[in-house]
Amino acid sequence: MIRKVGVLVSLLGVLFMVTACGGEKEDASTTTVKWLTSRPVGGAIDETMREIADQYSKEKGGKWKIDFETTADRPSYLQKLKTLVAGNNMPDIIDTDPDLYAKELVKAGKLVDMKKFLQKNDYYQNFYPTALKYQEFSDGSMYTLPLEYHVEMIWYNKKLFSQHGISVPKTFDQWLAACKKLKEAGVTPISVDGIDRWPVQRYLAMPAFRQTGNQFIENLSQGKEKMSSQTGVDSVKFVKEIGQYFNEGFSATDYATAQSMFLDGKSAMYYIGDWEIGAMQEKYDAGEIDYFYMPTTKDSVTAANEFCVNSGIGMAFNAETFDEKTKDFLLYVLDHYADIYTKKMQMSPIKTELPKDVDYSSLYLRIRKDMDNTGEQFMKPWDTYLDSSTNTIVQDNLLLVGSGDMKIQDFVKMIDDSIKVNVTDQ
Amino acid sequence: MGVLRDKKAFFVFLMPGLLFYLLSVFYPITESLRLSFIKWNGITPQQFVGLDNYKRLFQDPVFYKALINNLIYLVIVVIIQLSIGLLFAVLLTYLKKRANLVKTLYYVPCIVTTVAIAQLFRSIYSTQPEGLLNQMLSAVGLGGLTTSWLTNLNTVLGAVSIPEGWRFIGMYMVIFYAALVSLDESVYEAAKIDGATELQILFKIKIPMIKDILLLTFTMCLTGALRGFDIPYLLTNGGPGNASELMSTYMYKQAFTNNQYGYGSALAVFIIIESVLIIFILRKIFENYDVKAQKKAAKQALALSKRKNNKEGRVA
Repeated sequence: MIRKVGVLVSLLGVLFMVTACGGEKEDASTTTVKWLTSRPVGGAIDETMREIADQYSKEKGGKWKIDFETTADRPSYLQKLKTLVAGNNMPDIIDTDPDLYAKELVKAGKLVDMKKFLQKNDYYQNFYPTALKYQEFSDGSMYTLPLEYHVEMIWYNKKLFSQHGISVPKTFDQWLAACKKLKEAGVTPISVDGIDRWPVQRYLAMPAFRQTGNQFIENLSQGKEKMSSQTGVDSVKFVKEIGQYFNEGFSATDYATAQSMFLDGKSAMYYIGDWEIGAMQEKYDAGEIDYFYMPTTKDSVTAANEFCVNSGIGMAFNAETFDEKTKDFLLYVLDHYADIYTKKMQMSPIKTELPKDVDYSSLYLRIRKDMDNTGEQFMKPWDTYLDSSTNTIVQDNLLLVGSGDMKIQDFVKMIDDSIKVNVTDQ
Repeated sequence: MGVLRDKKAFFVFLMPGLLFYLLSVFYPITESLRLSFIKWNGITPQQFVGLDNYKRLFQDPVFYKALINNLIYLVIVVIIQLSIGLLFAVLLTYLKKRANLVKTLYYVPCIVTTVAIAQLFRSIYSTQPEGLLNQMLSAVGLGGLTTSWLTNLNTVLGAVSIPEGWRFIGMYMVIFYAALVSLDESVYEAAKIDGATELQILFKIKIPMIKDILLLTFTMCLTGALRGFDIPYLLTNGGPGNASELMSTYMYKQAFTNNQYGYGSALAVFIIIESVLIIFILRKIFENYDVKAQKKAAKQALALSKRKNNKEGRVA
């Protein structure tokens, strides 16, 4: 009998613990929206959105709350997102590129048509057209909202350039010649973050963009064009050529190391976008570094003011949970985002006047002016076009091409085979 | 003690652990098995494709590359962990003072997080700025050997295996040490009196006597190396190309980067089968060794008694 009582008591204990772990009850009248985000905590976007959310929550008398779930590391973020979607638990707001995965989500009816929403509420024309165009799928539809706006450029060390009698390269040939000269003088021409893969992939996209705009990669990703075509081979060849001027062991160099190599004067050039303006500011002000944009070629179909412009990873809304309350919040964001974001010395995708009370640096103003003068076309990163399997193969093996460990024809064949299996045969 | 004799009580006590095991280990394995027959990208409905994923597996060149890499990784890790672990443990038994301090110090890498270890070795292997390894090579006049260890196709696999081997040396050292000091001293003191050298005592007496511990550590070490993932993933993510791709990093890439949950699961199932197979072979080897040792001992005993009998006969 005593034993039975003992078992009963312990069972009750377990039951009590289980219920105690259940947590506090949410007030039923409070709406909580969950945003699975990959924006670094403390970054300008994160801070801006938190400010807006707090302000909005206050206006709603605390009856509205947003729950930020941040995973800044992109691969981990994507894994989390994909697992949640696969488990049928897609959060209310997510961050995603307009890539093939997002396209699958659209096909399954999981994302809100952002273009329609912006047009219907008269916000579409408030954005920089390129910022919106970047978020578009190739059929012109758009399901992701840009929260940032960037140009990518090649930063260079002025002292190293002048020491070796190099002027800012205007063409790819001049660029390669400059690299050669630097290397012969014992200077590392370009420092590259190979760990993250995408910086190397940008070099692959450059020649193709100059030859065809985004046409080549668009056709390639749909199986209508081959990597073994002239443009494809030219692009791979360029990576092989410029790869010999990357820092030694670039495949295992991370973002921070590549950048500090450049800033410490250990490499002459470094490719990165204006989001690193803060890191570049000091050396720029001291007159030690400057930047130039992607050079051109003789037969370029894209102009010198057309290069990689992007509006970053987009914000997308879950179609199932996009109710009136979330709509209201989104409109609130659209009204307030540009002001707050621009005050943080950032380039907003939504057009706005610069506030008078903030002292913008000359570098910021110069880049902002560049942005206003970019051409119609812009180089869209290849990872937003390619299916994920092919993209992994491109990114992994491109490092080998760059380091001279893989032949051009082997790489080209691998990509064509992958596109055949993953796109054409599907 | 009455409660331990009660079968129901056994059940109640075992239940939480069993439930946890079923949910966290057994269920995922069965789910992997199910998914391996399915084509699914995580968004569209699941589609049964029979053995297609397995057919693809055996036609995939990267799969073979990963398999071979994994075996090489396994050999390097096991050799480093067990041989150095055993060596240190033996040396430690001769240390009369401060053995505990040394044990603690050598154990430290086991408790350092993987990310820190990866960062540590990335710096050691680095070329620009020059890392510790290359600096040391240059300092001793072996400058010709300096290379970018993590990007050189010939060195990358070894370079990602060594940190994994290194970090658990201390753990195996502690296990071996505990086994060695618990041996009955009278056995090898008798051998010493008979004139056996220290090396003979080690290889003929001490190591055979801790055979069970060896099997245990071998099993732990092999299974550990077979599911090796974190350090290679953090250091190179299987690259450059697929030069340091292991089964687990490839499975992860297929399932979570390429959204091919079916194919990734087929790879996972293969890893399970591979692990079970290798452990099975290992046990067989040890059993064989046991049987052989017993036979040898029986033969020796027989020969000894014969000689004894002969001697006695002659005396008589």
